Amino acid sequence: MTGTQHEFDEALLSGYIDGELTQGDRQRVRLHLENCAECRQAVEGLRSLREVTMGTEFRVPEDTQWDEAPRGFLSRLLTNVGWLLAIAWFVGLGAYVVWQTTTDSESFRFEGLIGFALLLAFVLIILSALVDRLKIRKNDPYRKVRK
Amino acid sequence: MREEVSESDRLLLAQVRDGDPQAREALARRVGDSAYVFALQLTGGSQSSRDIAQDSVLRFFEHLSSFDSERPLEPWLYQIVRNRVRDLSRRDRLRRHESLDLWLEQGRSVDADPTADPAADAERDELRRRVWRAMSQLTVTHREIIVLRDYHDLTYREIADTLAIPQGTVMSRLHSARRCLREIIVADDGNLSSRAPARRGDQ
Repeated sequence: MTGTQHEFDEALLSGYIDGELTQGDRQRVRLHLENCAECRQAVEGLRSLREVTMGTEFRVPEDTQWDEAPRGFLSRLLTNVGWLLAIAWFVGLGAYVVWQTTTDSESFRFEGLIGFALLLAFVLIILSALVDRLKIRKNDPYRKVRK
Repeated sequence: MREEVSESDRLLLAQVRDGDPQAREALARRVGDSAYVFALQLTGGSQSSRDIAQDSVLRFFEHLSSFDSERPLEPWLYQIVRNRVRDLSRRDRLRRHESLDLWLEQGRSVDADPTADPAADAERDELRRRVWRAMSQLTVTHREIIVLRDYHDLTYREIADTLAIPQGTVMSRLHSARRCLREIIVADDGNLSSRAPARRGDQ
């Protein structure tokens, strides 16, 4: 089965059993098979392999084994509203803490420090998530999937 | 040839887009099973396959509104699964692999004839196991193209779309993959065609 023995590319045999050849190529392969026992055997082997592969069934998870159903519109809406509220809360709290710490009130200094630390912690967590998301977005393997 | 989208698929998509929860569930089940099996085959039997399938289905529904309903669903779904597998492989996050033959359905082959000889059935089951064990030993590039054609029954054009390769490359790569698979089987257990039940008369 070498190119020197056959006038056509050996890969045509795969195209032949898959029914993917042009009429001309199909005719060429058919004529060749009439005279070449080696290629006939190869075609039979490929067909056997294909039949075995096709006649297989894999175990799939039961319905109850799927952890999460695809998210609907309402679910996505609630998530987005939740995020908006959280951001509004961060901004509001931040403004309040900044305003309090810039006043001369001695009694608020300690509470302001705690509030500022809390706010900073949240900002850093969000920032780290944002950096990750930006990084993923840059290399997002799905970006070409939308068709 | 299956490049045209079927009428039932077009209808199902329209129902899902109209917000029909039953249609959505039916589509989710169908693409979930397909995505799972393909993930299993692609990863060579990784235990991460269910997570990959689940994530792929979420992606599938996330972008469904922008999907062209005149195109068949499967190549698009398989492209999502493939991307997810490659992404996890790159980050070395695929869990333990098993040989693919361990995931085969027990005693429920799709072409099993209830009146057939039990010994012949057992022989056929054993042959399937050997083929899928050999499939596990192929490179991912070879394994993916064989399963897309011989298991999922995609056309060359659909395979080219899924793998993002020229249509002309599909045939040569597929043939090379089949040859490698055959060599592994023959090296491991002997001649395939001499043991294939469907080919007994040819011996």
